[in-house]
Amino acid sequence: MAYAYLFKYIIIGDTGVGKSCLLLQFTDKRFQPVHDLTIGVEFGARMITIDGKQIKLQIWDTAGQESFRSITRSYYRGAAGALLVYDITRRDTFNHLTTWLEDARQHSNSNMVIMLIGNKSDLESRREVKKEEGEAFAREHGLIFMETSAKTASNVEEAFINTAKEIYEKIQEGVFDINNEANGIKIGPQHPTTNSTLPGSQGGQQAGGGCC
Amino acid sequence: MSDSEATAAEGPDVAPKVQDASPASTPDSSLPTTPDIATDVAPTRKARRRPDPKPAAEDEMTPVVEQPAKTANESTVSQGGWGYWGSWGKSILSTATATVATVGQGLTQVIEKAETSLGIPSPTEMSAKVEEEQKQPSDASSEKNKEAEDGSSAVGGAMGMLSSLTSVVQNTGKTVITGSLDALEFIGKKTMDVIAEGDPGFKKTKGLMNRNATLSQVLREAKEREELQTVETESSDSEKKVVAHYGMLFDEFQGLSHLEALEILSRESESKVKSVLTTLSGDELFQLREELDQIKESFSLVDFDDEEVDEKKDADGSELKRELTQALKGLSVSATADKLSKACKSAHSQITDMSPPEKEEAEEKSEEDVKKALSVEEVHAAAIRSLAELTARSIELFHKLAEMILFSNSSTEASNLSQLTVVLCKEVSLLSKKFTSCLTATGSNEKGDVLNPLITGVFLEASNSASYIQDAFQLLMPILEISHIQRRAESTE
Repeated sequence: MAYAYLFKYIIIGDTGVGKSCLLLQFTDKRFQPVHDLTIGVEFGARMITIDGKQIKLQIWDTAGQESFRSITRSYYRGAAGALLVYDITRRDTFNHLTTWLEDARQHSNSNMVIMLIGNKSDLESRREVKKEEGEAFAREHGLIFMETSAKTASNVEEAFINTAKEIYEKIQEGVFDINNEANGIKIGPQHPTTNSTLPGSQGGQQAGGGCC
Repeated sequence: MSDSEATAAEGPDVAPKVQDASPASTPDSSLPTTPDIATDVAPTRKARRRPDPKPAAEDEMTPVVEQPAKTANESTVSQGGWGYWGSWGKSILSTATATVATVGQGLTQVIEKAETSLGIPSPTEMSAKVEEEQKQPSDASSEKNKEAEDGSSAVGGAMGMLSSLTSVVQNTGKTVITGSLDALEFIGKKTMDVIAEGDPGFKKTKGLMNRNATLSQVLREAKEREELQTVETESSDSEKKVVAHYGMLFDEFQGLSHLEALEILSRESESKVKSVLTTLSGDELFQLREELDQIKESFSLVDFDDEEVDEKKDADGSELKRELTQALKGLSVSATADKLSKACKSAHSQITDMSPPEKEEAEEKSEEDVKKALSVEEVHAAAIRSLAELTARSIELFHKLAEMILFSNSSTEASNLSQLTVVLCKEVSLLSKKFTSCLTATGSNEKGDVLNPLITGVFLEASNSASYIQDAFQLLMPILEISHIQRRAESTE
């Protein structure tokens, strides 16, 4: 229940590419073929383990509709990771990636880890965007890339977890300032080594105050 | 010997033990003060118990043993400005504030405050001693804590961060409970306040809007504290109890996330309104100010009379659904409103299920009765869970409303929203009343000091819930303002 870090994620991309379905598959391990249109933003959370540490992912699943953009942009700030999703069976969703990427880079911190996701990989027969194209786009813009299927759950875990690994590495390298919440990372409640709660938590406060 | 006598008797029994831990203490002079200490709260007691390893300080220390805690009390009391409270209220609240201050600011700060005001040790000596204290008497103090908690063991975990507070309230028992929701709301809010930033200012209806710490921060801190406590109790307590942590549950229902998102929208709208105002001048500015003031006015009128809430009303939550539909007419947030009414409905049906059946019914449903043998802790947990869910869903609703208002730019009457707030607060109040009568019925065989803190806990979280809902409502104000400005601009174009 307690976690070492909390990472804030955003999921962005055109409407209907399967953002909410990816989230549902990741948090609830189920698939819902018909999903209500997301209004503004919805949320999901799940605990994962990286390097033996418990990490809580707090995921903000944004509405893909163009008309919601001005609202959803407000939510980008303070995200440590972003899943940028397109639909491999719809070329237009791939073509819009540049706009999404510019938007994301402009409204969030520069260190945000972005994972490019080509969703609906189960619909191979209807594929319009080759995997190589996705890979090339990711390489060009410095993103991580994966093809997933929210329906079959293929690569869904990996997409969320690999993003977290990348963030975690950046923390280890000191790229992220974990004390700045604008980076989308929060340190979990500190565990006191002493038995009694009061001196312990107060010790934590002192340590926190000392570094400022 | 009743339980309450046991707790009261524990003082003199414990104090000498503590004194033993201190090499510098002179039992003779300090002993007479101990019965006094017993009625106090644990953290404050700890402050007094702190052993002083420096023999030089002995003379100064012993005659004034009573002094430090008093100073701590007084300072926090004056900070909080409780002056106008009735006498019973005052005594409870001052102890409560002291406790809260200890929880929030850490033990040392209280000790420091107390001791610097006495002019005793230098800061370096202090820190050395504090370190020593943290290691040294931890055995004694943790043992001590256990004893203190035994009396209210059922509460300890269940009450989360408020456990020490409620045990104080418990001593004064009935007075507080009949002292109505208002007083508890006061304590509850105060608890949050002091933990958040030690800000003494308190405005009843204005909520947390004008403070530095945002509501979601306050709640997150509370939740984290609860998480910590859970980990600790799980590791130390092998036996699992039914524990309900409001903050954690609130987060589980995504209340925190929705609140955070609502705060983002509110903040952005607020700065947009400000920047629009700076571009205007003269009559234009004057007129817009006037219009905005009208919107603001609808936000300051919210007040609901807790006494009016009728327990008999709205047996299954259908009343709320009707009122919700009424208040939300024209705003496409039906999905969220449905979630809310569902949460409410399930809370009401839980209450019906949990309430011990009436006599005639009891005969008919004898089979089910066996299953229904619920403990008071279970009823309490259900109450806290329902309150947390209802509050989280209410905040989700406000968040969705904010998004829809910004999105559709439709004209939204602030009065509808304030009506909605009143409806929600009344529902919270109604639920808490129903749950507590259910608790009373279930726990008719329980002792007062088991039952009372649970009841207090439900009222406390209910008043907190109402505060959060009202604060979330306040967050909508800048959103209505910017929406108004945008509609205005569209119509002139």
